[in-house]
Amino acid sequence: MNDSIKVLLVDDEEEFVTTLAERLEMRGFDPSIATSGDQALSMVQDKAFDLIVLDLMMPGIGGLEVMKQIKSANPEMPIILLTGQGSTKEGMEGMNQGAFDFLMKPLDIEELISQIHEALGKTSA
Amino acid sequence: MNQETEKTLAFFGRMTANLTHEFKNILAIIQESAGLMEDIMAISPLAKDKYQERFNNSMNTIKNQLQRGMEMASRFNRFAHSPDHNSAELELGETMVHFCTLTERFARLKHITLQADSQNGQEIKITTNPLLLYMVLFYSLDACLSVLPAQCEIRLISAKKDENAAVEIACTGKQAPSPEQFFTGLRQSNAWGELENTAEQLNAELKCNTDDLRFYLILK
Repeated sequence: MNDSIKVLLVDDEEEFVTTLAERLEMRGFDPSIATSGDQALSMVQDKAFDLIVLDLMMPGIGGLEVMKQIKSANPEMPIILLTGQGSTKEGMEGMNQGAFDFLMKPLDIEELISQIHEALGKTSA
Repeated sequence: MNQETEKTLAFFGRMTANLTHEFKNILAIIQESAGLMEDIMAISPLAKDKYQERFNNSMNTIKNQLQRGMEMASRFNRFAHSPDHNSAELELGETMVHFCTLTERFARLKHITLQADSQNGQEIKITTNPLLLYMVLFYSLDACLSVLPAQCEIRLISAKKDENAAVEIACTGKQAPSPEQFFTGLRQSNAWGELENTAEQLNAELKCNTDDLRFYLILK
């Protein structure tokens, strides 16, 4: 049921995002990765994604600004935020600005998948 | 709570929040790498052989991140002990390396490179207040980060200046501002005011080299 779900994973920690992509791929997703906000913004112009998983705190353009720019071009794009902060404040702020939900790092992949399905209106297997 | 205590707590708060964020990233990478190994093993007991390269890559990632985490934890521990004594003997070059490891992320978030260096590789021993020294280094960095654009470099160099131990803060970069703009920006930043006050408490002299983007903390 994950076939053809195109997910863009955005995080400046390359090893994290690469491994997460590999794990999602093993579960049938079609993941792509970006390691900066700039790269993510350029990728969304070239390819249609079903959903974006976006780290909040990145060098250069931060997660909230990236989300704002993506949402201004495509308001319906579901975005799940990742936060490494100890509190939920930044995640809540992101939800107020249009994110579907937020997850804390380190994350549980099954929880992420469940959130992806929920955001896309699918039922988890 | 007096103003000095508030200032010290605010400094510790920013440093601690920065370091715990780094720890979370390290743990997230370890978790995903361990998870990937588990996924591979779950495919079949023979999968380990088929996916040997992926398995080895994940194992190496875990080892590297554990090393990164352990080094960060040791440095964090050392930093946390900095208020223990008002005076302690430190090797200045090693202290610069330590400080840069702790604060590299602040620079990285602005696409700026932070590097520790020592003049002629010489060892410089000083007896000083470790907490105040970290605070002046932090305010120096914070002031520079508020003025410099992305792709610049900040070097903290342990040096001798007029027979005194000193820290040279040298900034470079193709897009860097002119010395005049740089020092005007520094002096207008909140961090610079804190730097001047804390340097005075540390009995350190601030000396600016207005020919280029360089200033000194002379430790007396």
